[in-house]
Amino acid sequence: MSDGTVNKSRRRFLIGSTSLVGAAGGVGAAIPFVGSWSPSAKALAAGAPITIDISRLDPGELMGPMPAWRGQPVFVMLRNEETLASLRENTNHLADPSSEKAEQQPQYAQNEFRSRKPEIMIMVGLCTHLGCSPKLFAEVEPQDFDPNWKGGFFCPCHGSMFDLAGRVFLGVPAPDNLRVPPHYYVNDDVVVIGIDAENS
Amino acid sequence: MAGSDHKTIEVKGLLGWINARLPVVQAFEKHMSKYYAPKNFNLWYLFGVLSIVVLVNQLLTGIWLTMHFNNSSEGAFASVEYIMRDVPYGWILRYMHSTGASAFFIVVYLHMFRGLMYGSYQKPRELIWIFGMTIYLVLMAEGFMGYVLPWGQMSYWGANVIVSLFGAIPVVGQDLMQWIQGDFLISGATLNRFFALHVVALPLVLVGLVILHILALHEVGSNNPDGIEIKNNKDANGIPLDGIPFHPYYTVHDLVGIVVFLFVFCFVIFFMPEMGGYFLEHANFEEANNLKTPEHIAPVWYFTPFYSMLRAVTYPFLGLDAKMWGMVVMGLAIAILFVVPWLDRSPVKSMRYKGWYSRITLLFFVVAFIILGVLGTKLATGPRTALAQICTVYYFVFFLAMPWYTRKEVTKTPPQRVTGRFITMPQLLLSLFLIAGLITLPLYVVGAETEIELSHFEVNLEDKASLQSGAATFINNCMGCHSAGSSRYQRVASDLDIPEDLMKDYLVLDADTNIGDLMVSAMPIEASKSWFGAAPPDLSLVARVRTPEWLYGYLKGFYLDASRPFGVNNRVFENVAMPNVLGNLQGDQIPCTTEGCSETIHVEGTGSLTAEEFDKQVYDLVNFLTYLGEPALMHRKTIGAYVLFFLAFLFVFAFMLNREYWKDVH
Repeated sequence: MSDGTVNKSRRRFLIGSTSLVGAAGGVGAAIPFVGSWSPSAKALAAGAPITIDISRLDPGELMGPMPAWRGQPVFVMLRNEETLASLRENTNHLADPSSEKAEQQPQYAQNEFRSRKPEIMIMVGLCTHLGCSPKLFAEVEPQDFDPNWKGGFFCPCHGSMFDLAGRVFLGVPAPDNLRVPPHYYVNDDVVVIGIDAENS
Repeated sequence: MAGSDHKTIEVKGLLGWINARLPVVQAFEKHMSKYYAPKNFNLWYLFGVLSIVVLVNQLLTGIWLTMHFNNSSEGAFASVEYIMRDVPYGWILRYMHSTGASAFFIVVYLHMFRGLMYGSYQKPRELIWIFGMTIYLVLMAEGFMGYVLPWGQMSYWGANVIVSLFGAIPVVGQDLMQWIQGDFLISGATLNRFFALHVVALPLVLVGLVILHILALHEVGSNNPDGIEIKNNKDANGIPLDGIPFHPYYTVHDLVGIVVFLFVFCFVIFFMPEMGGYFLEHANFEEANNLKTPEHIAPVWYFTPFYSMLRAVTYPFLGLDAKMWGMVVMGLAIAILFVVPWLDRSPVKSMRYKGWYSRITLLFFVVAFIILGVLGTKLATGPRTALAQICTVYYFVFFLAMPWYTRKEVTKTPPQRVTGRFITMPQLLLSLFLIAGLITLPLYVVGAETEIELSHFEVNLEDKASLQSGAATFINNCMGCHSAGSSRYQRVASDLDIPEDLMKDYLVLDADTNIGDLMVSAMPIEASKSWFGAAPPDLSLVARVRTPEWLYGYLKGFYLDASRPFGVNNRVFENVAMPNVLGNLQGDQIPCTTEGCSETIHVEGTGSLTAEEFDKQVYDLVNFLTYLGEPALMHRKTIGAYVLFFLAFLFVFAFMLNREYWKDVH
């Protein structure tokens, strides 16, 4: 086959460089396959910001029918002075009472009530543990899962607890406070969820 | 080989661990590094490996397309446009798959021709040939069912024609047809079962057959252009003197061929994915309609030779009608390929050493097959049918006379050892020239079609001002009745550099419509049918169905005709139901009466725009409609240029690597 003068280093170089260029081509060819899994224009359109009317909220109840942004339940609730007062005191049982984890809420909700307006709570209603939707237990009364219950959310899947500002309790599986979606008030009655005027 | 088979292979590490449990090293040696292939393979021997490349492409892109495809008759057509527009990179995946289907048949046809030319089907390779023909048969079923899935007009009527063939079978035909369709017509039920067969059942069969094809090949060894057995001349170690390890010699060699193939393949994907209507037929951009057959239906090009044969049978015989015999002829034309190994009685394999009878009959076979293919894409007329009949008869004569002429002719004695290039460059060019001439001459004699002349339309998607103006004209004048239901306002805004708030305020006419929504007209379809006599069609794809030239001629082609409901007719689309929406701008036109005049005459004093202004407005509209037909066109060619540039770069490395290995091989 060969006259014995095989230039091994030249072959090695050519194999290496061809493989390298070929591998780059493989990565390039993978782009459409990987990219096509991202949300399509249809999904993006369906996940567009929503506009809701909050003029007829009943205090202490979640807004119904439940608004959905990007197909996720959004908890909207009017909190009275009493509730706000109880959120202010007694924070020893909370993991992140002053919302220090920045990614869980926009900057304007990085406060003790985790909201733009103290009385209006707006929250993505999905547990930060594994994505179940927590249930509202609004009354201040002893519960099976917590004898000192002051009102809040309890996740039926794995027992995580959150207060009425969506702040997660210590000693439950969920690591973070409930997420506050970007939102802004068009006027006193109308709020847009999914986008904040500052960043639009 | 015998010596190496019994050598113990010592490998260490992870590979050693695996190899002690699964013979991967032995398998690699048997099929790659110690598979001795003849060293005189020429260009023709590339098409086998290329068909594997295309198969992998089809499997991958096919799997990815099913992730977005909707296999219901209500949603299939829309989901294909969803893939083309809304799914990120979806258009690349779809074009890879649609171009891959045609590429598959191109490489397979060339691979089959190679087999005929070098006698690769002869003893001991009959089984390889039979597996190969079965692959071809399954591939045809796969291609046919895949073509039904986009649920366009050609999908529907093509399926209708093919399934109706089964209806020709005496006694059971009609019941069989209903059973295949699962309905009284091609319907959602048919689409569902074809989808299941296309994406699951047939690919499994195909992959299995390909494995059998290769295993059978590696058992007996490859043939070569000289058609002699390299196993007859072995060295002291049992290695064929004319053999060379497949790996690395043919891996680096095939790599060069694969890169060149990918270059051509990507050129088609990015620069001409419709291939002039042969890879993607224009009529298939219109959704299936079981009440309206397109004016001209032709199968995709890879079926046209057999389709021609089907149409060529026009006489009843033995009490059975021509329809039945057409099907029989088509079936036999494929069936006869399976028995070629037993029809060829020549003492030699390769055309290099066969006689002139074989060479000339093969040459005419190629000519007849291609003529049949070309005729299958055209409407059947008297002379064309006659030509198709001649070619069909010849197709069968080629095979049926083979036992006779392969024995009668004078053959040469093949050499003991393989040789290099056989045919000289002038001989090769002369043969190609001869084939081209023999194909075009009869086709020229039976006549070409004549159509209304349309002036050339220069699409310019760089001209954003023109596109914006066209979008405004479209939304304000057309969308009252027509939808562009595959397209979204937001995409149009971003592609045409229209700020989203301007789009929302001025061009999204319905207050309840979001900018991300589809561009759907508010006109109720049922009501519009009674107003116009026909529902205004969705215009998302009108430029792909009709071509920009046609649209430009059509929009300018209205003229006064008192006999029509809206007082106008159209010179490009006669008796169209649509009123002349742009009539106030254009003014009245009357047909000219002088001989040889093809345009219409403007009535002085009518219309708010000058002729030039109106032409510009129509130009902008058609330019926009062209964009609307395929938004990917905005970036397709740019991406394609990068891809081709990269492949050219890769070619340099592959070429040098190949030369490094082969420079000392004689």
